[in-house]
Amino acid sequence: MRSMNPYHRHILNNGPAELEDISLVVALASLFGPTGCEDRVAHFVLEEARRLCDSASCDRMGNVVGRISLGDPQKRKRVMLSAHTDEVGFMIEEIKSDGMLTFGCLGGMDPAILAGKRVLVGNEKTLINGVICSKAIHHKKKSERDSAVDSDKLYIDAGFTSREEAEAEISVGDFATFDEPADNSFTFGRDGQTLKMKALDDRMGCAVLIELMRKLNRERESLSLDLDVYFCFTVREETGCSGAIVVSEKIAPDFALVFESTAVGDIPDAPSEKRVAELGGGAVISVADRSTIYDAELIDTAFKVAKKNGIPLQVKRYLSGGNDAGHIHKSGVGVRSLAISVPTRYLHSPTCVAHCEDYRSARAIGFAMLEAINEI
Amino acid sequence: MNLYATLKRLCLISSPSGREGAVREEISSIISPFVDSVSVDSLGNLIALKKSRTEGAKKVMLCAHMDEIGFIVNSIGEDGAVRVGTLGGIRLAAASYTKVISQRGVKGALCANADVQPADYKADTMYIDIGAKNKREAERYVKIGDTFVCEPSLSKLCFSRVCGRPIDDRVGCAVLLELAERLSGVELSFDVYFVFSVQEEVGCRGSKPATFAISPDIAICFDVTATGDTPSAKPMACALGGGAAIKIKDNSVICHEDIVKALCKVAEAEKIPYQREVLTFGGTDTSSMQLTGCGAMAGAISIPMRYVHSGVETCDMKDVAACVSLAEKYLLSL
Amino acid sequence: MASEEKFDKDIENIKFQLQNEIIKLCSIATVSGFESRATEKVSSMYRDRLDSFYCDAVGNHILLRSCGRKDAVKIMIDAHLDEIGFVVTEVLDGGFLRIANIGGIDRAIIQGAEVTVLGDETLHGVIASTPPHLKGDDDKLPTIDKALVDVGLGYSKEELEKIACVGTPVIFDKTYTSLKNGRLAGPSFDNKACGAIAICAVTSLEPSELAGDVYITLSCREETASRGGAYLCANRISPDYAMVIDVNLANAPDVSERESVPMGEGISISYSSSTSRALTRECARLCKEGEIPFTPKAEPSSTGTNAVAVNIAGGGVPVVDVGLPLRNMHTYNEIIALDDCYSLYRFIRAFVTSRELAEGFAREEGEI
Repeated sequence: MRSMNPYHRHILNNGPAELEDISLVVALASLFGPTGCEDRVAHFVLEEARRLCDSASCDRMGNVVGRISLGDPQKRKRVMLSAHTDEVGFMIEEIKSDGMLTFGCLGGMDPAILAGKRVLVGNEKTLINGVICSKAIHHKKKSERDSAVDSDKLYIDAGFTSREEAEAEISVGDFATFDEPADNSFTFGRDGQTLKMKALDDRMGCAVLIELMRKLNRERESLSLDLDVYFCFTVREETGCSGAIVVSEKIAPDFALVFESTAVGDIPDAPSEKRVAELGGGAVISVADRSTIYDAELIDTAFKVAKKNGIPLQVKRYLSGGNDAGHIHKSGVGVRSLAISVPTRYLHSPTCVAHCEDYRSARAIGFAMLEAINEI
Repeated sequence: MNLYATLKRLCLISSPSGREGAVREEISSIISPFVDSVSVDSLGNLIALKKSRTEGAKKVMLCAHMDEIGFIVNSIGEDGAVRVGTLGGIRLAAASYTKVISQRGVKGALCANADVQPADYKADTMYIDIGAKNKREAERYVKIGDTFVCEPSLSKLCFSRVCGRPIDDRVGCAVLLELAERLSGVELSFDVYFVFSVQEEVGCRGSKPATFAISPDIAICFDVTATGDTPSAKPMACALGGGAAIKIKDNSVICHEDIVKALCKVAEAEKIPYQREVLTFGGTDTSSMQLTGCGAMAGAISIPMRYVHSGVETCDMKDVAACVSLAEKYLLSL
Repeated sequence: MASEEKFDKDIENIKFQLQNEIIKLCSIATVSGFESRATEKVSSMYRDRLDSFYCDAVGNHILLRSCGRKDAVKIMIDAHLDEIGFVVTEVLDGGFLRIANIGGIDRAIIQGAEVTVLGDETLHGVIASTPPHLKGDDDKLPTIDKALVDVGLGYSKEELEKIACVGTPVIFDKTYTSLKNGRLAGPSFDNKACGAIAICAVTSLEPSELAGDVYITLSCREETASRGGAYLCANRISPDYAMVIDVNLANAPDVSERESVPMGEGISISYSSSTSRALTRECARLCKEGEIPFTPKAEPSSTGTNAVAVNIAGGGVPVVDVGLPLRNMHTYNEIIALDDCYSLYRFIRAFVTSRELAEGFAREEGEI
């Protein structure tokens, strides 16, 4: 039996307060929060927001919003900082008579990565272990061995031996996510600065928001900014039923900075025009993706402040993907938006891989952009 | 105002989705004398308001989009080839092997990887040759995130027809400008918002916030529509030279019947040539205007056009004139 | 014994009444995008039983049944009013019309269908099928733009253009058939059957029994717009909580159980990331308490109904997605079970009278 990971233990004993930087990322990414069941993440961030913000609340969808107001109320611009709390996962569709669970995917998932993975199954209250199974290679016809097994042919075995037994703990409509890395090996690589785990998309964004929240709270007296800063932890990004729509329409911000993960292809055999960005090259600024054409002035500003402050920053070299900005920029009377992403390999898998320095770069750019927006 | 001259003036200024600044400035300067106020919202929509003297007057929103389809630079290869993604529904087979021009005025040739057949063209298989021998040379002229469009042009064909690009939807903008001029000095009992929207080609993104801000009672869209009068065309009872097209539906919207009826009635009464348009593909800003906020009564006056999204978009100026007259008489009838 | 018999008879009466009301509403033509044409008819059917009736600029019909108390919660029940159909795209010589589909229509079912052309005059017609000797070698179905509506001999093109100009809506003919075991077959149950049941259920209650003001939105454009009219209704009403009712694909021999719900075994309640988990659970509880049969149905990413849009409208609305099992969807002989209709009727009554829901889901307006 695996023991509780140290970050969970820390949260249980001390609350989230003392974790920072990569510990904070890992703690957040460890939490169970598939699309539609973000409660645990919401609870974590709400506690921090209550402690650090002028006001904080959780709406009925589960979106958490904290506000820190700085400077002259007459001059304040409204800035929305956004990260989504959900991660890709699964929803239980049927409980079979033999106690096996069939599932559908929440968010875009490649069937090639599913079979054989450890998962956590449950809801905001209970969690149990399970494994995604398919028939063994021995049972597969030769023709079947060439392609991935479709998710509707896969099932989760949680050890139940009958439907009745399973139904006592699990219901149709419950959730599952990938489990944590084996042996709590959250980081690897020569310098131990490469992260490896589920849900880095977008708990890294959530961590950036929390760290910015702390910084603004700590330095509020010395900052000469006239801003209403809204820290928005939004639900349901992965299925497009975005909580960000509701939040941005409520706040009606002038500017939005969306903190995300972006899928990169900087691996051998990838053609150079499809590498997108490089791990370790700093945070990524998108000019456009499938959902948004970003504000030209904000893009220019980001590169200017990066240069001025010596923050590594790269431009996304491929037009793909989409995120909450797609909803935010069209909301209300329109919102000038920018996405700041941490480049991430193997997105939407149990083993997202990202680099700590890129996370720190996103955090630094985030703060520098607040200063810059103050001047726009 | 000469409609053709205005159209040409607008066509020759490039304006890919999301980067519409140059055309916006031009339109703004043309329309300013005819309206009470001109403003630009945070996404870049240009909103010109002609106010009525009536208190609490109804609001009529007229909308044409300023943007055009184009390309955005993704990366630059070691060989100097500029790789691009698309902005909007580009017909790559039509766009390939034509000249393109960047926002900085850099010219290039849009080409396809040599081993790909036209039917298989995707953005990933295309590149722009700007004449650079390698990456370093190319980077002096092009930055990632720069935009390109196919070279603009406009020429007269036989009779009253014109050909070039991007007539979609500069012609709608020209109609609105002409309309604004004709209505200047006319006292109306309602507010008219002339909206020149951004980002229509990437999914009607601009008109939604503009509609939300205005909250119109009636919304009319001015955009191009296809025709069924070319060899082997998809069947469609709409022809070039057949007059203004009164939209009944396209793939994104079904117009309010009361607007359709009112427009037809005006056209009949004023003897303006018109046709009833049922487009079975494509979408327009009409849908986002209809379905934003608490909803608006929406319709559209379309300009029939052949060869949409190619370099030889073709219109009949008589149809364009009919659209202006129809819009004018409709507004006067309200 | 005697009282049990009477009870059964009451149930049979309600089912009979539901059947009548369903057929009455389904018989009104409400082609997507042309819903405003039905305003007069819908209004005259229900006005007497309501506190207000309103049709907006797009074609949404909003029916209010008030509980009579001040500051009551607002409960929204959405069932879309529109139905699939066709629109005339070209008028031809010899009494033929070309058409385009409105909403998702299966080309495999249209040949030989009886239709009504809703022009200045109402015309009857049939959709032409291809005679065997005109068929090519491949057995591919012709595309809809090749389909022809034959309105019979005797019309010149000019004459026909005056009656049924381009843009005229066309619907499948309305014929309703009773099958065994209280099953009902006919067009347009999607989704007016649900609308009719909702109105019956809500108006069967005394205002004082209602837990709040109930807005029934017979919304427009569900079949044709990606975010249909229900979104506008929810923006306008800003309800405290909402239920979206739509038909759900019922079991059939060639459909997997996982992709369908059983027929005759009650309503379906969707679990989805596009709806409120809390409200969904409460609704499942209501069913269990009231012994209302239901099937939980997981629809992970999206319910594919108006629930998705209502959920994000009006500042965010907790919504539950409830389904009426239906077989043969989007044909002119959709099949529903009156037993399921009755279950839905009972569930709606439980939903709008539940004080627990009204307390648990009342909107809290908080400043951020």
